[in-house]
Amino acid sequence: MDGVLTRRRFFESLAAYGGVSLAMAGMDALGYGFGSAQAAPPTLEGGGKGTKVVVLGAGLAGLTAAYELTKHGYEVQVLEAREFAGGRCQTARNGFRHVDLNGNDQTCQFDEGLYINHGPWRIPYHHRSTLHYTKLLGVPLESFVNDNDAAYVYFEKGDGPLKGKPVRKGEIAADARGHAAELIAKVAAKGGLDSALTAEDRDLFVAYMVNEGRLSATDLAYTGTEGRGFDVQPGAGVSPGPGKPSTPRSLADVLHSGAWQTLTSVTGYEQQRTMLQPIGGMDQIAKAFERKVGGLIRYSCVVETIRQDAKGVKIGYRDALGQKTEVAADYCICTIPLSVLRGIDLQASKPFKAAMEGVAYAPVNKIGLQMKRRFWEEDHFIYGGHVYNDMPGVGTISLPSSGWQSQKGVLLGYYSFGAEAAKISAKSPADRAAFAVAAGQKVFPEYAENYENAFSFCWHLAEHNLGGWAEWSEDGRKTAYPVLCEPDGRLYLAGEHLSYLGGWQAGAIESAWQQIGKLHARVRAA
Amino acid sequence: MLRNTIFATLVLTAAASPVWAAPQSGQTLYADNCSACHQVTGKGVKGAFPTLVGAPIVQGDGKLMAGVVLNGRAGMPAFKDDLSDADLTGILNYVRGAWGNKGKPVSFADVASARAQSNAKAKARGLQAH
Repeated sequence: MDGVLTRRRFFESLAAYGGVSLAMAGMDALGYGFGSAQAAPPTLEGGGKGTKVVVLGAGLAGLTAAYELTKHGYEVQVLEAREFAGGRCQTARNGFRHVDLNGNDQTCQFDEGLYINHGPWRIPYHHRSTLHYTKLLGVPLESFVNDNDAAYVYFEKGDGPLKGKPVRKGEIAADARGHAAELIAKVAAKGGLDSALTAEDRDLFVAYMVNEGRLSATDLAYTGTEGRGFDVQPGAGVSPGPGKPSTPRSLADVLHSGAWQTLTSVTGYEQQRTMLQPIGGMDQIAKAFERKVGGLIRYSCVVETIRQDAKGVKIGYRDALGQKTEVAADYCICTIPLSVLRGIDLQASKPFKAAMEGVAYAPVNKIGLQMKRRFWEEDHFIYGGHVYNDMPGVGTISLPSSGWQSQKGVLLGYYSFGAEAAKISAKSPADRAAFAVAAGQKVFPEYAENYENAFSFCWHLAEHNLGGWAEWSEDGRKTAYPVLCEPDGRLYLAGEHLSYLGGWQAGAIESAWQQIGKLHARVRAA
Repeated sequence: MLRNTIFATLVLTAAASPVWAAPQSGQTLYADNCSACHQVTGKGVKGAFPTLVGAPIVQGDGKLMAGVVLNGRAGMPAFKDDLSDADLTGILNYVRGAWGNKGKPVSFADVASARAQSNAKAKARGLQAH
């Protein structure tokens, strides 16, 4: 066996030389694909030897850059416009104050222990970069229920008997897929699909359809199934005993309702069923970073000018007292969203500045509603998950994945983006809450009577964000995006906007990893 | 007067739509859809959202302006899935005449044609983003 380079040893040797990321790259190259996400930071071998880097913005991209660069001998300063770190990684709990660009001044009134993640709120299992830091920094996680068959779907724009009626997602799934499987199975069994199937495969295919749609194996009929629930639950003794099965809805009713829009063979890449969240709020990630690099951050410092020449960069900013100050460094990593950066006096090449115009930022709204009691758990047996619906401006109503069976709860009353979000954001916080409560009342009769207070956030009206996330058009991805991914002089941009994981914390982290990797290669070569 | 003619035209055209309700005024539609960013005064928010008062785009070619609202640009979202041609015509004409602006009225046909020209195809929107 000696001298034989087994695959395993090959990967181990790559890891020994170049760290885990090189080993991963090697595995990807050999077809052991791990997906696009990067799993570990660049190793920055040889260190920065005191090279000075100023990082603009203490969101996850900035915090990542500061943490990794400092660890490897760089001298780092971070300028943050807010009085706290995290960027969009925020959590609103009692006392959290937000004044938006329109002067709406809110202080969160939730009871102690309750919160809403009005920014990022869930971590797909394959976002290994985010999970790298939650593990490394000791941020405890819990499950985030991203799919719940017991949760209602509510579609009011369709027609038929299900229009405007809350129906459990599992019922829709069972009936839509059951009826569809029956149709296909019967056609296939009669040879109707023989042009696509061999005779042997036909039997297997029919068996698959029976399994998929929970059909009767004898006549291939769909007549309902236990998983969609019972009219009388089975239980003890003779009564309720076996219970009473539920009756499926007709295919036509399901089709006309529009509720089938919630069904897909597999989730979207970013909407995995296994998701995680930090216990106690997403900002636990920001706080964990802060414990490591908080000393490097100057808070309440708003960047006004970014200048550079062949020797270095100079950043002009206004501090908490309104004093104009300047900081000099060898390089700058700028994580300020492009929506905000466009308004800053920036010294960069013409193509670079033109590229900055090539992206839109999404208006995004969220609202947390505090409820007196968890009626969705107590009366409807729904533990977490989303109420998908087609109400304009609402998008998703989501039930909390924490504090099960406790007295009160904060649910997400809406999560909408684009023009719908722009519209709702014109309302006062009180009117936004009234809008959200009226919407939820259509789904849960207990909604309005249990509502206590609200905290709403509109990302496009947040001064230092001006949007929830970058939205690249196909054109923008081709022309502007590659320009901004490369440094302009001594300026490196980083953030979710410079990734294909847009709007996700993993995008911010991996963009920072990539840019500090480039920066380091340049410093080493100099 | 010209504006009234335009509204009469758009009501007739929009009557083809089965969900048509009483038309809202351009001002109301502006307040609902645009004022969060551009403000009811049209002045926007300095450094964040551009002013519409005296802005060249608002007083220039109407089709171009319609295209910007339909497709979005820079920080502005696309409204093509959220505004009917009739509503958009109402909004554009309100903005083009409000706050001392002197933009020539836009016709429903101009807006419909701007939508037809809009090369950005409407993508099916997912239920959730992030």
